[in-house]
Amino acid sequence: MDFKLSPEEESLRKTVEDFVREELVPLEPDFEGAPDIFEGTRWKSRAKLSSNPEVKRYIEIMEGLEKKAEARGLWYLDVPKEYGGMQVSNVAMIAVTEELEKSSIPFEFGNHVSNILYNCKGEQIERFLLPCLRGEKTSTFGLSEPASGADPSMLQTTATPDSDYFVINGTKMFPTFADVADFVQLFTRLPGTKGREGVTCFLIDTGTPGYRVARSIATIAGTEPCELVFEDCRVHKALVLGEVGKGWELNQAWLGARRFQVGIRAHGVSQRVLRCVAELLRHDAKGAEQFVGQVGYFLGELEALRTLTYFGAWKADQKMDVRSEAANVKLFATELLHEVLDVALEVAGASAMRKEHVLARAFRHARGSRIIEGPSEIQRHIIQRALFREGITFLELM
Amino acid sequence: MDLRLSEEEKLIRETAAQFVSRELLAREGAYLKQEELFLPPGDPAGRELDAEIRTTLTDVARRIGLWALELPESVGGSAMSAVGQVLIHREFGRTILPFGPACIPALMGESKYAKQLAEGELSLSLAFDELHKSGTSDTITARFRPEPGGYALSKAILDLMNPSADLFLFPAKEQGTNRIGLFLLYRNTSGLTIEDERDLTTDATVARMTLNECKVSNEELLGYEYETGAIVAAEQLRIAARSLGIGMRCLAASIEHARNRVTFGRPLAQRQAIQWMLADLSINLRTCTWLTLEAAWRADQSLPYFEAAALAKKRAAKMAFEAADTAIQIHGGYGVCKEFPFEGFYREARMMRLLYGREMEMNRAIGERFIKEGGRRKARVRRSPAYLAYCLYWCLSPVV
Repeated sequence: MDFKLSPEEESLRKTVEDFVREELVPLEPDFEGAPDIFEGTRWKSRAKLSSNPEVKRYIEIMEGLEKKAEARGLWYLDVPKEYGGMQVSNVAMIAVTEELEKSSIPFEFGNHVSNILYNCKGEQIERFLLPCLRGEKTSTFGLSEPASGADPSMLQTTATPDSDYFVINGTKMFPTFADVADFVQLFTRLPGTKGREGVTCFLIDTGTPGYRVARSIATIAGTEPCELVFEDCRVHKALVLGEVGKGWELNQAWLGARRFQVGIRAHGVSQRVLRCVAELLRHDAKGAEQFVGQVGYFLGELEALRTLTYFGAWKADQKMDVRSEAANVKLFATELLHEVLDVALEVAGASAMRKEHVLARAFRHARGSRIIEGPSEIQRHIIQRALFREGITFLELM
Repeated sequence: MDLRLSEEEKLIRETAAQFVSRELLAREGAYLKQEELFLPPGDPAGRELDAEIRTTLTDVARRIGLWALELPESVGGSAMSAVGQVLIHREFGRTILPFGPACIPALMGESKYAKQLAEGELSLSLAFDELHKSGTSDTITARFRPEPGGYALSKAILDLMNPSADLFLFPAKEQGTNRIGLFLLYRNTSGLTIEDERDLTTDATVARMTLNECKVSNEELLGYEYETGAIVAAEQLRIAARSLGIGMRCLAASIEHARNRVTFGRPLAQRQAIQWMLADLSINLRTCTWLTLEAAWRADQSLPYFEAAALAKKRAAKMAFEAADTAIQIHGGYGVCKEFPFEGFYREARMMRLLYGREMEMNRAIGERFIKEGGRRKARVRRSPAYLAYCLYWCLSPVV
C-alpha cells in the first residue's frame, strides 16, 4: 500500500505548485473585483465576445497565463499521446487540480476537450477533435431535454434515417454556452426505440439548416445554458459519433470521467472559503468561539473528500468499474461544499452577499453543482444499486 | 500511488479474516444467547466470554501471529506495521465477541516486562483518563516533580478502564516546566489504590484509581510527550480500525436483511428510505477506510501522523455509531435485542466516540489551529522545523 504519488506524478505536481506560486498567486489581488464571467473557466467562450475593456484586460492576462503554462510544459496534460498530449493518469490530474485550486484565479491548463470526442473517426478528427484540442473550436453537450433531465434515457429527440442522412427533430435544454459554441454533441434516438436502446450521438455544426439556438437562459451561477431546437435538421451519417444506436455508452463515459475533478474542485473551493472564514474569525473573538468547532469539522470532512477522490481516481487508472466511486465523490463533494458555504455566509453576514464577494460567488456556483451532471438523488440511487448488487465487496481491499 | 495491499498485507488480512470467521463469529451466537431463558428483572447483566474459551482463542491467536502486534519478535510479538495492525483490528471489529489482541504499546518492547506481557502473564492498562477529552496532552492536570533517585507523583484521581491489569501507564506534567512524563506504575506501587469497580454501559468495567504521593524510580519514567502522543495515536488507529469492522458488519447485515424482509408487499430493499440510509452509510465507510489506512501508512513511512490518526478515529467512531444505529433501525425490534450484535455495537461505538478525543473538542482544536494560522496554505507533506526538532529531541531523550 502506497499513498505517495509516483516520481513522475510528483514532479508534475511540483511544477504546477511552482506555477501557482509564481504566476497565479501574485495576480489574486487584481482578480478580486473581476467580472462574474471569470468564475469557473467560462471566460474562454463568452467573455471573448465582450467589448467591455475591463473584460478584455482580464482576457489578455488569462491568455498570457496560457502561454506561460505552455512554456512550462503544462499543456495537453490529459490528452492521449497519439494526439500529442502527455496522457497523464487520473491521479496526476487530481494532483494538478488540487494545486491549481489553491489559488482563486479561475485558470486551468488546456486544452481539455469533451472526452467523448476521442471517439472521433476519419475526417471527424480533423473537423472536430483537433480544432478543439488547438483551442480553435468549442463544443457544447446536448443531452437534457424539456422532459428528461436526471433520467436521460427518456430523451425524445429523434434521428430518422433517410438514405445517407438522418433527419433530426426535437428540443434540447441546458447545453452550456451553445450560442457561442462551434458545434454540438447531440444525443438523439432512432425512431421507435426506448430507454437506452437506439441512442445515437451526432456532431452538428452551429448554423446547420434546421438547427437553431432558441435562447440562452440566465442562471444563478452566471453560466448561460441554452435551448436548442431541431426542426427537420438533415445531417449526413458521417457525423455520427461512435456507432449508430450505441450512444448510451458515450453519455456514460462523459459523465464518469468528470466526477473526480468535481470532487477535488469542491475541495479546493471549500478550502478557500474556509480560509476566508478563518480570516474573518481571527478578528471576531465572539464569532470564533461560536464557529470554531464547525470550521474544524469541515476541515476533517475535506480531508475525507480528498482521500475519497484520490482513491476513485486511482481506481479509474486501474481500469476498474468506478461508477459507484464516481457517485460517492460527486454526492459527498457537492453536498459538503454547499454546507461549507452555508456556514461561511452565517459567519460573514449580509455584507458577503455582495455580488462580487468571493463567498457570494462560490455560493451561487455551489447550488447548481448539486444538480448538474446528475443530482444528488441520482447519485444515491447509483450507490444503493451497487450496494444491493454487489454487497460490501467495495470494501474488500485489493 | 498504489492502493493495493502488498502480498504480506494480504496475508495478514486473510489470516485475521479467517480467524475471525472460524473462531470468533462461529462462537458469537452462543455468546449472545448465554442469558437464561427468562431473565431476572432489573438491568441486564454484563456478558463475559467463558475463561476457558478465552484461553483457547488466545493460544490460537498467538500461534498465528495475531497477538502482541506492536512488540518486537524477539520478545514474542508480531512487530506488525501500522497498516497491518489496522487490517487486523478491522477484522476483529466485525464481531461483538469481546476478544482481540491486547493493547501493549510498542515502547513496552524495550522494558523488562515485554516477554511477560507478550505471553499474557502480565497485563497492562492505560491510565489515560485525562487524555480522553481532547486526545492531546493539553488536558493533563496530573503533576510530577523530580526527587532524589526518582520522581514523586502528586495526588490524582482518575477513571481507569481495564482495572484488573498488573501494570499501568500514566502520563503527567512536570511541575513548573510542563514537560510530559510517561510513568510505569505497578499494582502494588505504594500510594496507588484501585477501587469501586463498576460496570460500564459497554460490557467492560471502570474503576477509580487514586494516586497519593506515589514515588517512582528513574527507570519508571518510560517516555515523554512524543511517546505519549504515539500511544494515543496507536489507540486512535485501533479504534478507527475497529470502527471500520463494525461498519462493515452492520452494513452487510442491513443489506441482507433489507433484501429479505418484506413490508406492505415489497422488500425493504426497494424502499428509498432504506436505500438512502445505506447509501449514505457506505460513503462514510469508504471515506473512513481510506483515512484510516492513510494515517497508518503515514505512521509506517515515518511521516507526521498524529493529526491524521486523530481525524481517522473521530470520523470512524462516529461512522460506526451511525452504522449500528442504521442496522438497528433496519432490523427493527430485532435490532435492539441482545441476541443480535447491533445493540452491542451501538453501545461500544458510543463509548469509542468518547475515548482519545471527543468530537466537539477535536473539532474545536482543529478549527482553532486553522484560525490561528489564518488558514494558511498547507503543503501536502511538509515537515516543519518544529517537528524535526521534535524528532531530534525524541531520538536524543533517554528512553529506558
